[in-house]
Amino acid sequence: MTNLNTQAFLSNGPQTCALTDLTDLPRVGFRGSDSAGYLQAHGYHLPSLPNQALRQDDGGWVVRLSASEYLLLGSLSDQGARVAAQEAEWVQGAQRNYLLPRQDSHAWLQVSGQHCSAVMAKLCGVDLRAEAFPVGAVAQTSAARINVIVVNVASEGVPRLQILFDRPSLAYFREAMLDAMAEFDGRLVG
Amino acid sequence: MNSLTRLPAPMGLLIDRERPLRFVFDGQACQGFAGDSIASALLGSGRWLLSRSFKYHRPRGPLSLAGQDANTLVQLPDEPNVLADMEAARDGQVVEGQNFNGSLEHDRDAYLGKFSRFMPVGFYYRSFYKPKGMWKVWEPLIRKKAGLGVLDLGFKPQYHDKAYLFVDVAVIGGGPAGLRAALDAATAGAKVLLIEQQPVLGGSLTYARFDIAGTRASHLRQALLDAVEAHPNIQVLLQATCNGWFTDNYLPVIQHTRLYKVRATRCLVTAGAFDQPVVFRNNDLPGIMLTSAAQRLMKLYAVKPGQRAVVLTGHDDGYLAALDLQDQGVAVAALVDMRAAPADAALASELKRRDIPLHLGSTVYEALHDKGLRHVSGVDIRPITGQGKVGTQGLRLACDLLCMSAGYMPVYQLLCQAGGKLAYDVVRDAFSLSNLPVGLAIAGSVNGRHHLDNVLADATRAAAEAVAALGLPAPALTAFGPEAKVNFPWPIFPHPKGKDFVDFDEDLQVRDIVNATRSGYRDVQLVKRFSTVGMGPSQGRHSALPTARLVAQATGRSISETGVTTARPPFQAEKLAHVAGRAFDPYRQTPMHRRHVAAGAKMMPAGIWQRPAYYGKPDERERCMQEEARHVREKVGLIDVSTLGGLDVRGPDAAELLERLYTFGFAKLAIGRTRYALMTNEHGVVIDDGVCARLSEQHFYVTATTSGVDRIYQQMLKWNAQWRLDVDITNVTAALAAVNLAGPLSRQVLATVCEGVDLSAEAFPYLGVRLGKVAGIAARILRVGFVGELGYEVHVPARHAERLWDALMQAGAGLGIRPFGVEAQRLLRLEKGHVIISQDTDGMTHPAEIDMQWAIGRKKPFFVGKRSIEILEAQPLKRKLVGFTLPKGSPQPLEGHLVLDGPDISGNVTSCEYSQTLGQIIGLAYAGAHQATPGMHIPIRVEGGVMVNAKVVQLPFHDPDNLRQER
Repeated sequence: MTNLNTQAFLSNGPQTCALTDLTDLPRVGFRGSDSAGYLQAHGYHLPSLPNQALRQDDGGWVVRLSASEYLLLGSLSDQGARVAAQEAEWVQGAQRNYLLPRQDSHAWLQVSGQHCSAVMAKLCGVDLRAEAFPVGAVAQTSAARINVIVVNVASEGVPRLQILFDRPSLAYFREAMLDAMAEFDGRLVG
Repeated sequence: MNSLTRLPAPMGLLIDRERPLRFVFDGQACQGFAGDSIASALLGSGRWLLSRSFKYHRPRGPLSLAGQDANTLVQLPDEPNVLADMEAARDGQVVEGQNFNGSLEHDRDAYLGKFSRFMPVGFYYRSFYKPKGMWKVWEPLIRKKAGLGVLDLGFKPQYHDKAYLFVDVAVIGGGPAGLRAALDAATAGAKVLLIEQQPVLGGSLTYARFDIAGTRASHLRQALLDAVEAHPNIQVLLQATCNGWFTDNYLPVIQHTRLYKVRATRCLVTAGAFDQPVVFRNNDLPGIMLTSAAQRLMKLYAVKPGQRAVVLTGHDDGYLAALDLQDQGVAVAALVDMRAAPADAALASELKRRDIPLHLGSTVYEALHDKGLRHVSGVDIRPITGQGKVGTQGLRLACDLLCMSAGYMPVYQLLCQAGGKLAYDVVRDAFSLSNLPVGLAIAGSVNGRHHLDNVLADATRAAAEAVAALGLPAPALTAFGPEAKVNFPWPIFPHPKGKDFVDFDEDLQVRDIVNATRSGYRDVQLVKRFSTVGMGPSQGRHSALPTARLVAQATGRSISETGVTTARPPFQAEKLAHVAGRAFDPYRQTPMHRRHVAAGAKMMPAGIWQRPAYYGKPDERERCMQEEARHVREKVGLIDVSTLGGLDVRGPDAAELLERLYTFGFAKLAIGRTRYALMTNEHGVVIDDGVCARLSEQHFYVTATTSGVDRIYQQMLKWNAQWRLDVDITNVTAALAAVNLAGPLSRQVLATVCEGVDLSAEAFPYLGVRLGKVAGIAARILRVGFVGELGYEVHVPARHAERLWDALMQAGAGLGIRPFGVEAQRLLRLEKGHVIISQDTDGMTHPAEIDMQWAIGRKKPFFVGKRSIEILEAQPLKRKLVGFTLPKGSPQPLEGHLVLDGPDISGNVTSCEYSQTLGQIIGLAYAGAHQATPGMHIPIRVEGGVMVNAKVVQLPFHDPDNLRQER
């Protein structure tokens, strides 16, 4: 039995909830009927359906946001170098493959720890518990009254949700996240 | 008042006898224990008078001791109308009574009860309006008497928030049915949320007695509790109230300062049933309480409810309560059973064994009292001779406690909100529920199961249905046993002298309800509105059933036909703070925000953006604005325009899309050129503007207004969903940071940091666009003229914004560059006569009204709004946006001030500022078309009703030949 009385959460240790700002890590988007072929030609594994994400061999993720839109999230292992190079080398040609400047348009936060879905439940109406929102699931929804993309990137038994949203709203949303995390002793760790 | 004598354990489940506490009630020091409610601590201290009734100011003590009545409403320093039987007593707390004139003990308004005959229901509807004008006399008196409690206007709001909870099964009510159902569902594999109002689980198992030995409840509770606590699939919310039911089991649950928004796949309501009072004269005296309340008092708080008790009952539970009372040292003077015999004969035998007198087929006809109605002192017991009738001779017994229970009413509120129907079962003399939506079920006493074995069996049945619907294995069912009737059919005994209360909240007596029907209010909904029955804090928990019976009898209909009044959320009073929760007010900051703060900017909201209004002290707006504007006119300034909307339109049909959306033509726009872009809606109304810059054959960069870009983006997507053009539309507002480098020296500044672009006027003329590098950053450079000076908009990826800002400020340092804010920008554009869409336009503005016909491509076959514009232009123009001037020193109009045409309003001011450049006040305003000729004067009514006569002038005010911006 778990008593959801707020007081019951206060004894949890700091490791149970952490916020990481990944905004400086490269990411880029591509959209168009030729995008899938373009990305596959460059060695990316693509999710088979929209609103799914797939971990890449380097630890990065490809998030499929619609039938023809993809978001590449850089890996911490190479500090996003692969994705940054992908963005740099892109040239608009005749193909229907349009680059979307997601590093500039979107901020990127990660909330991790056993309470991350409980934290998000204070901001967002989508059920983000692991049983309803498994690893690789993607939700394009609203949290704290702004549009967000939420991706479950949990690994090695550690729950992790990555959240991408309007970059100018970073200060606002980070503040809202930290407020929601306060009862779990959550804090910004990097 | 200071006695801490309590009953010995195991009485007092909730209190911690090791932690005494002190508080003040009504000016007197009181004591209690941690775990006490305010009410239980007061009762434990011998204090029974907790409140005064709403209308007649009668003394009131606790009725339900479960937060189900208004008798315990008290005042806390920062909160009125707190339920003392639900609010925890706290050390050092100050509690006051409310709704009295004088003191709670000696209320000067208590005399009102003596005039009740002259204050029937609805009397104020009829009495205070005649003769004409009398309402003005009565109103202040009535208002003074109305309302309960006092608001603390200095109250500082507490933090409240909301959170979603997602579960497979929500179980509302943590009594035996709820515990059993939660366990069965959780064991089947469902994630279960168990919601309980009280501080501990167990419901009736914590206070009621289910067997003569008095042992079953505690044993069963402990077994269920152990299993629930050990179960990983069960989450428990204690002291939590489900305050409503909404479609698809969307449940608002309030716990402390949080509102949980529960999303449950299945919902089981095991909320039990409300103990029902008996209606007789003086049934509201302190010392008269529901039987369950007396049991709660003993078992939860170890408070002995009286020395000598009478128990009035309509079912077997009253017998068991009598045993409880006697076990705790209360002398039971009589058990009065309204029935002819108990269902379980063993109970009568046990009473006999214990020498408790039993009066069958009898009722309490009147409760007796000492002077002042402060406590019950005895009862007048009469034999029941018919429906609501009693014999003329009775028996008077002294007592200081009267426990009453006429039966039970299911906790129907949430279920009726869900569409459930209440039907009256004439065999059981009880309401039952049906027609519940799929996914919502009931079990236990709310479902008419009162025998404990049947309650548990019913819970298992409901859990089995719920888990089966979830595709989980269902538990084995158990058989139901016989069920004794628990409701006495007519526990209403009107008295000629009245004070036989049906609704304690509103002081409504039997005759009030009956008279309402005689006044023509025959429907129970109308009876409610006329009499206010059920409108008080208890929301009909105790009055709905007797009201239904009385209305049915008075109108000659069945109780089922009469029904009860509509139950609406919330189930119990909730605070606006719960509804509001934590406020989320999104704001956006440009990527150069830190630079503005460092430069001393006074920030202002622009939509949800934070923008620099000006750079300087908050109280020096005018000086800063004028200085910044002059600097742009004379030297060079830099403004952050990152908030400007930006849309990339790419693909083979990009030009075609813009042709259809904007009024101008873009198909032939040369690469490297920009063009003003005006957008109208289907009605020909101007909705946005910006520029379209052609970066390549299939790539346009379109700007839009700060506040309008999201709408324009949606419009583009919407229209293209219909047109299916081969085009990609991307909102790059956030992705691109932008500055406007403006002023006669701007070219010089840019030249020092710009690579790959010839900035000469010939090579890069006004309205040109170039791709190049500024400070090493890939940039889109647009020659624009919004502020009417030579200027360049530089757009770069947001991640490089601060680097761009620093580079330009450094490059311009030798030329005196300084940042300027939105206020100066607005003044500068006003001097140039440029409109701001949505400030100088409204929801009716069409191009002709703002002299924008030049921006319409007449030869295009189509654009959104074309046909409407043609229709509008065929009509005589009714109003026009004009420029006006006033001499320096005149009263300055503000935005919104009215332009008059004789006695009529012909328009309003949309923009107005003092222009240092021009040495006069300038502005834009709508005026009648016949007032719009330059040289005419328009009367404007400014602050304080002062009239000024403004001169209409040709626009722009400044640099009409565009020499400055096109240099």
